[in-house]
Amino acid sequence: MENDKNSQKIVDYIQNFARKHSLFVLAYGTGCGAIEIPATMTSRYDAERFGIRGAATPRQADVLLITGYLSTKTLKRVIRVYEQMQEPKYVIGFGSCTINGGMYYDSYNTINGLDQYLPVDVYINGCMPRPEAVISGFVKLQELIMAGKANNGEKYRENLEHYRSNQKKIIKNWKMPDYNW
Amino acid sequence: MTDLLKENKLLDAITTSFKIEGKVIRDHRVEVNADKNTVSSILLFVKNQLGYIHLAHMTCVDWIDQGEYEMIYTVYSPVDKITLFVKARIDREKPIMENIDTIWDQANTYEREMREMFGIEFPGLIGEHDFILEDWDQIPPMRKEFDTHKYAAETFFTRPGREDAKDVREEINKRSGAKVPDFAKKYSRE
Repeated sequence: MENDKNSQKIVDYIQNFARKHSLFVLAYGTGCGAIEIPATMTSRYDAERFGIRGAATPRQADVLLITGYLSTKTLKRVIRVYEQMQEPKYVIGFGSCTINGGMYYDSYNTINGLDQYLPVDVYINGCMPRPEAVISGFVKLQELIMAGKANNGEKYRENLEHYRSNQKKIIKNWKMPDYNW
Repeated sequence: MTDLLKENKLLDAITTSFKIEGKVIRDHRVEVNADKNTVSSILLFVKNQLGYIHLAHMTCVDWIDQGEYEMIYTVYSPVDKITLFVKARIDREKPIMENIDTIWDQANTYEREMREMFGIEFPGLIGEHDFILEDWDQIPPMRKEFDTHKYAAETFFTRPGREDAKDVREEINKRSGAKVPDFAKKYSRE
């Protein structure tokens, strides 16, 4: 967080430094990109040297990685998962399908453009992005965190009506719990 | 070139029993065109008498110009190593087909998918109506009259392209000095 003098307090600096080096990624794979995650995590590329590692449940995770196309049915679950995550929380859109629909741009069942439904911090393009690209995306996210600019959880709360109206356009039978933050 | 003995024997057995037509496509591939009412008896016959015990696939093709759906049942015999296609046409206006999940249990899954994606009714089929899609309120999406491009443009948010986007083929040709072929000119952005 930046204060009114456009600079960070020392305590924020320490906090951001700590957050940046312990990014827990939720093990939630959608679409085909999930196959790149084991390659990123294991010994050759070894994402854990950047402090990136897996988390078992949404409430323990910091980063939601949307790996590839999202069908409208999966979007419901992703929204549910995202709202369960505790702040600070970040979303990384992975592959061209999350950016503009990719090769499924005219499909009746996959969304085009993830940022209409969830606030996205970093997009990684490619179909599929290789582990180097994935790590570069994470490094970009770390830079944003360090600069205090990755506060999309707050943005989501403030613009909840906008996101909800977009989400309800797709999910017609809305039976999700309303969280009150 | 093999003499297709097994294949012709199978074709003769089916065509003489049911008075229908068929052909040998190539080795290990036989196709018969049946009436929609005799499909289940053909499948029972080949399963019980000829050893075609494996239902490999069943699917549907939308022939919108002829006003028909074509149901295709693919069965396989592990002894003969022959794949047999049983095809039947049904009316597109009132698509009703016989339920065969009493012959093979796994046909239930295929039939539920076809009920959802093509709107074909199978009398006596047990299962939830929502199978893969959730909250679907349009016509079944795999029918040919369903305009998926229009639906996606109306429902989802399309991202506008970059303003400085360039045509890849033309840019490469400009650099190398080659000419754009005639068939590719209709894709030009300029």
